[in-house]
Amino acid sequence: MTNLLEVSNLTKRFGGLVAVKDMHLSIAGGEILGLIGPNGSGKSTVMKLIMGIERPNAGSVKIDGEEVAGLPSHQIARKGVGIVFQHSRPLHRQTVLENIKLALLPDSLLQLFAAAHIEERAHEIARRVHLHHVINRLPGTLPFADLRRLELARAIARNPKVVLVDEPFAGLTAPEVADFSNLIASFRKDGHAVLLVDHNVRGVANLSDRVLAMYLGEFITEGSADHVMRNETVRRVYLGGALQHHDRATPVNTADELLRVENLSVFYGKAQALDDVSLTVAKGEFVSVVGLNGAGKTTLFNAISALVPSTGVVAFDGGGLDGRSAGQIARAGIVQCPESRELFGDMSVRENLDLGGHHLPDEEAKKQLDWLLDLFPILKSRAGQAARTLSGGEQQMLTIARALMMKPRLLILDEPTLGLAPVILEQLSKALEVLRQTTDITVLLGEQNVTFALPHADRVYVLEHGRFIWEGPPERFATEAGAQFL
Amino acid sequence: MKLLQILIDGFAISSLYGLGAIGFTLIFGVSGVLNLSHGSIMVTAAIAAWVIAGDLGLGPYGGAAGGVAMAVALSLLTYMLVVRPIQTSSRIAREEKEIFVLTGTLLWGIMIQEAIAYLFTSNPKTVRPLIPGVIEILGVRTPMQEILTAVISWVVIGLLWLLVNRTKAGKVLLAASINPRGLTLLGFELPQIYFWVWALYGLLAGIAGLLLGAFLGVSSDNVGQLTASAFSIVVLGGLGSVTGSLIGAYVVGYLETITAYSGGPSIRTIPVLLLLVLVVYIRPQGLLGRR
Amino acid sequence: MTNRKSFAAIAAVLFALALLPFGVSGYVLGLLTLGFYTAVFAMSWDLLFGFAGEVNFGPSFLIGIGAYTAALLNHYEHWPIWACVVTGGAASIVAGLVLAVPALRLSGPYFGLVTLVAVLMLQNIIVLFAGITGGEIGLDLPDVLSIDDSNNYWIALTFMGISGAILFGLSRSAVGLILQASGQDAMQAAALGFNVTKHKLAAFCISALFSGLSGAMLIFYEGTVSVGTVVDIAVGVQVIIAAVLGGRRTILGAALGAIFLIGAGELLRPLGEASTFVVSAIALVTILFVPGGFLGALLHGEKR
Repeated sequence: MTNLLEVSNLTKRFGGLVAVKDMHLSIAGGEILGLIGPNGSGKSTVMKLIMGIERPNAGSVKIDGEEVAGLPSHQIARKGVGIVFQHSRPLHRQTVLENIKLALLPDSLLQLFAAAHIEERAHEIARRVHLHHVINRLPGTLPFADLRRLELARAIARNPKVVLVDEPFAGLTAPEVADFSNLIASFRKDGHAVLLVDHNVRGVANLSDRVLAMYLGEFITEGSADHVMRNETVRRVYLGGALQHHDRATPVNTADELLRVENLSVFYGKAQALDDVSLTVAKGEFVSVVGLNGAGKTTLFNAISALVPSTGVVAFDGGGLDGRSAGQIARAGIVQCPESRELFGDMSVRENLDLGGHHLPDEEAKKQLDWLLDLFPILKSRAGQAARTLSGGEQQMLTIARALMMKPRLLILDEPTLGLAPVILEQLSKALEVLRQTTDITVLLGEQNVTFALPHADRVYVLEHGRFIWEGPPERFATEAGAQFL
Repeated sequence: MKLLQILIDGFAISSLYGLGAIGFTLIFGVSGVLNLSHGSIMVTAAIAAWVIAGDLGLGPYGGAAGGVAMAVALSLLTYMLVVRPIQTSSRIAREEKEIFVLTGTLLWGIMIQEAIAYLFTSNPKTVRPLIPGVIEILGVRTPMQEILTAVISWVVIGLLWLLVNRTKAGKVLLAASINPRGLTLLGFELPQIYFWVWALYGLLAGIAGLLLGAFLGVSSDNVGQLTASAFSIVVLGGLGSVTGSLIGAYVVGYLETITAYSGGPSIRTIPVLLLLVLVVYIRPQGLLGRR
Repeated sequence: MTNRKSFAAIAAVLFALALLPFGVSGYVLGLLTLGFYTAVFAMSWDLLFGFAGEVNFGPSFLIGIGAYTAALLNHYEHWPIWACVVTGGAASIVAGLVLAVPALRLSGPYFGLVTLVAVLMLQNIIVLFAGITGGEIGLDLPDVLSIDDSNNYWIALTFMGISGAILFGLSRSAVGLILQASGQDAMQAAALGFNVTKHKLAAFCISALFSGLSGAMLIFYEGTVSVGTVVDIAVGVQVIIAAVLGGRRTILGAALGAIFLIGAGELLRPLGEASTFVVSAIALVTILFVPGGFLGALLHGEKR
């Protein structure tokens, strides 16, 4: 049997960064392949390359034997590829029915009126994805799961040979996940080739015939879900070599509370990103929140920093933060290093640091700067260089140093290890350990890289689908919660 | 002789264009707003100076101070009454904010223009020069005001450069133009920063308007032309790039002066437009713009 | 169905408008005639912005090309009016394509910018070749549509009715749906197999056609063509304000906004120079507080 999708030697570079390197994969009709990799591993890029949203630098993509690499997206779509984007992007001013009809229309300027069979077919598809009861409503009035269904409906409307699904189950409840699994399984029955893209094996294991793992743009292994989970490299990428943790020289007094979060919830439109979350951080404590990408870590931190609207209580050092602006919260001592770093790219390292110390008296800023340049010696040698010319690891150190210039009482680190090489992780890890052992700073760390998160943690929370599902000391993590992470 | 005349006139007019455009590009760079009421603010400064110096009898210096103060006030009003409400409105979709800000500032500019025409007629007015008289440079008779225009323009541009590159406040402005979110994370209040940027912008546009009023004279009918020329200069130089805007100002200033001297004033703007079309097609980010 | 109800309402309004010449003065009819042509400008603009998502800052480029092509053919070649109008519309399409094919590669504000520069260029060229075009003063046309106010009014109303029906129909058709998708989310539209550029280009051509036709009709109503009435930036600004005021993405709202602008400007004429101030203020307050425009507010209110 020939493969409906055949990818070989696919390579994509963004500037100097190799996002995808020599990838190969193939899917036969009636087969589901799970493509997994941690955030930044290049799996989404692979999907975009197949769809033609990005143009590959090299390699081949064959749809049912026909070469499509390098063609524009709309031509690839017509060769028989459909995509389900991770975020629902319906036309907001059109009804569900119109949205589905759109996907059925021919790419013609002359067809002013949709043919009768299109209406009929749209209804048929709506029934298949269980949208028929809301068919005349606007997308804005639909619950999140229905929006995902709509996305699915549009992708399969043209009866594509190959269906690409990005994070099929993100943000869905357990019964919804079951429902979606059935829908996707039905594609297999119809002879489509399906590519599921997700963060970890667990998400796609039940559905996939085969699983392919990638990391840093490269192929790691391929096979049954079990085989992939047993693979050494996969285990190291997700869990690290051996889980370990360091004990502190002087234990923290956990009764002395600095941050208290109670019943915090955040909605993005219809999707609930954070569901009734509560957490405490004691003065001087290092707390890690681990969870996969999309679990809600960034949302939690942004809600604490008042960067997104939320409901619930956030109390800092005994006082509520209600009504304070993001700037006020930062000046009060909660300073965040976001995943996106948010450096001032065209300004020098020194200027970035100076802006961090802007609110301090000159004398104090100077002292803080000297201390930080000792802690991160690499920044001293790069002081005059524009921030955007730094390597990823250096940028991450600058982000942390710039935040520390504010003399924060609570430092929030969101995914500091994202996309960094192991040798940089070690340096970062050392710097954190110095902070932990020699200062009284409090740290809240969000990570999907458990190996990095555990050594520095006094306490660990596990976040999944916007909820905490486990809390405990790091030494109990491996046995009680570790299995969640493959 | 003619060449020297072109050199001198072109320099003065270019410096003035540069000063006018630099505020326009500053606002765009820091807050992403193309302020189409730009010409109105410049004209307001000149007319206010003319009224205060003449009708109120406060003399050229009183007029100059009053004119600039009016421009600053008007600029802040533009921000608070028009730009900010649109930016913070939850009823305007994010992708439509740009067209709303453009339409809003345009309407606001028309209102100011019409108010000036209504109150003071649209007849051209020449602000009394700070230093009257004419001197001869290598045989070219040049009004003192023309020299003053170039000098003041460059002093102000120089001060702005010092402010942005040598002071803490300037660094914050620079940072805001690169990454506003980063500033929020470091405890800065963006609304406050924007307020000061608009005040600074009003100051620059005001001084430019004042100099224009004394050098060439202004009328409320010039509003559209002034906005358009600032816009062209900024696009030519690269949206948001201060150095680019200055270069753009000199290109436009000299190109216009040369055309006016050689081909007549009626075709003054055509070469500039041709250049603009060329630049937009070949290098849409402008001479020095970042993509 | 609401569709049928609104259709009946529109038919009723058009019918009432058609009867107007029997009851009102020639002055009011003249005003509405101008309003109807402006309405077509605004509706054409809305098709491009509201549906294809492209901001055309230079609607008067397309209007002016149509108007001046027709005017020159009539003045020098003495072509009949209908031939001048049709050729004017065709010339607008050609000019629109010359402008749009390279410009659509540009993103965001740059597309708008090119369209703006196009207007300034056209204006300068007309002034530069004043010997042929009449320059700032304009050009008188040997032919006019009619010297009778009522006839002129009916011609304009019919033209607006037909143009509106076509533009509105198009916006609600299958092609309109694809256009919406291209404007809102080009990546998604391409992933569904649509050639986004092709559809946007088509929208530009249609917008150009109706702008050009309407510009040509307008000058044969006025009997003269000048930069101030069909090319000036102010003309384009008025078109954009009309569309935003009336309600974007509704096509019909744009017509409403245009007629309102023309009417309000005239009603306030006793205020003298302050009238433009008041109209601008009303428009500004509307976009600040009712960003959906007249029709947007109306439809929204109905839904609630």
